[in-house]
Amino acid sequence: MRRDRERMRIERPWLWLGLIAAMAAIFLADTFTSLEIAVAVLYVAVILISVRFDRPAVVVSFGAGSAVLTVLSYLLTPRGIQETGLANGALSLIAIGATTYLALRIGEAEARIRQTQAELAHMARVTTMGELAASIAHEVSQPLAGIAASGHAALRWLAATPPDTGEAKRALQRVVADADRAGEVIGRVRNLVAKAPPSRDRLDMVALIEEVLALTRGELRRHRVMLQTDLADDLPQPLGDKVQLQQVVLNLVINAAEAMGGLETGPRDLLVGAASDGGAITVSVRDTGVSLAPAAIEQVFEAFHSTKPGGMGMGLAISRSIVEAHGGTVYAAVNHPRGMVFGFTLPVAGTTLDRQHG
Amino acid sequence: MDRQPATVFVVDDDVSVREGLDSLLRSVGYAVSVFASVREFALARRPDTPSCLVLDVRMPGPSGMDFQAELATLNDPIPIVFLTGHGDVPMAVRAIKLGAVEFLLKPFREQDLLDAVRVAIGKDEARRKDEAALAELKERFATLTVREKEVLTFVAQGRLNKQIAADLGLSEVTVKVHRGQVMRKMGASTLAELVRLADLVAGQERAIR
Repeated sequence: MRRDRERMRIERPWLWLGLIAAMAAIFLADTFTSLEIAVAVLYVAVILISVRFDRPAVVVSFGAGSAVLTVLSYLLTPRGIQETGLANGALSLIAIGATTYLALRIGEAEARIRQTQAELAHMARVTTMGELAASIAHEVSQPLAGIAASGHAALRWLAATPPDTGEAKRALQRVVADADRAGEVIGRVRNLVAKAPPSRDRLDMVALIEEVLALTRGELRRHRVMLQTDLADDLPQPLGDKVQLQQVVLNLVINAAEAMGGLETGPRDLLVGAASDGGAITVSVRDTGVSLAPAAIEQVFEAFHSTKPGGMGMGLAISRSIVEAHGGTVYAAVNHPRGMVFGFTLPVAGTTLDRQHG
Repeated sequence: MDRQPATVFVVDDDVSVREGLDSLLRSVGYAVSVFASVREFALARRPDTPSCLVLDVRMPGPSGMDFQAELATLNDPIPIVFLTGHGDVPMAVRAIKLGAVEFLLKPFREQDLLDAVRVAIGKDEARRKDEAALAELKERFATLTVREKEVLTFVAQGRLNKQIAADLGLSEVTVKVHRGQVMRKMGASTLAELVRLADLVAGQERAIR
């Protein structure tokens, strides 16, 4: 059952079915009402909705199909005045043609917006990575320090009389593990700054969050922040773009660390949580920094609004556009006893839909 | 080796660094204890051997620098070698001013670390030797009678036997006898040495007060 559905690979089957049913209904209505009634104009609605497929060829097909059906029902309609029918048909065809053209332009414009947004997100990511450079250098220098120490230790254990091969072997195992660790850090950085088109995959949110936290460990340390996580292990897997959502988590974590970095006193606790309530996944980042005033909270996700000295005010705005592009929402609230909670929810409609069908 | 090996305490929140240093320092013959945080180290029991602390600067919770200040207020003399992933000059200056032996940047050269640890252990050994000598001196001082202590005080002030005899209402011969006893009990062979030892004891008493 499940395999069959995957083999068909039709994107959005319900949209297809609905539009084709609508066209059939319009065709029947157009054919069985008299020629004076220009039911065919309703095809424009179908064409406009077909923009949602994001594929120009599909829009053109619906436009062409509508035109053919309009002509066909003109020929098949038994009742009515021929001249009026001809005029109505011509008007409908012009409307269909114009709408198809406009629909194509809308599709193009939307594609361009998405591309610009992706580029902006990429730029912001690269900027964030620049800010994180010290942290990343630190993340690499730790395993390197480990490699150097363990490597030298291994040489000494082997040079001893008698050589202690057990100790040497353990030291070399650590060298290998540390080298892998350094490689992973670099891999994560490379993935985050790679310029890839947005994708839609099933996401393991816990792994996604943990990768980000691994990259920010140095930054958290620099601000002397204690990190705690509360990640549910049975989260459903939402559909989305991993790199973009990682950027959102990255922004929230860095903001929280910076908010606490300036504190004179008090604990610097960061709690990153992920939980689900069936219909949605909520990711939250709690800090014990300064609480924002309610008026400031309302503005915090707006572009060019920054509460940080030297901040561009783009991080949270980009985060919001990313989350909203995933059908989710962002939120900000005051944490108790102090600090802020920033977070977002993602729908897991994909999984519930599957369950309904299966 | 009949003595116990010197102990190096390593505090670093990074497990790679911790285990690497553990193996490296053991390979050159030190006893090593590793801790993930300064709190863990503060709670640990320390053996009575020459030791030093290899301390990471940036850690979640109290930083290495904070801990150095804390140890200073506790009069804990353990020599410190700092390690850091991102240190700056003011930080290093502050650490050295507060008595750190060395401030090493990660990744560090193996030899630099081993040298720093050797210097730190040497410093602790010297301090322990001084302390032991002082303790012995105090023991000797405690064996003096009240009168002998009085005589010692006056001798240390540079007064002559005749003057001391007048001050204490004793005969000069008695003062000489007391003085001979003091020299013998304190283990001093010359007057100059006796004065130095008396100063050491007095300095220690002042510091405690």
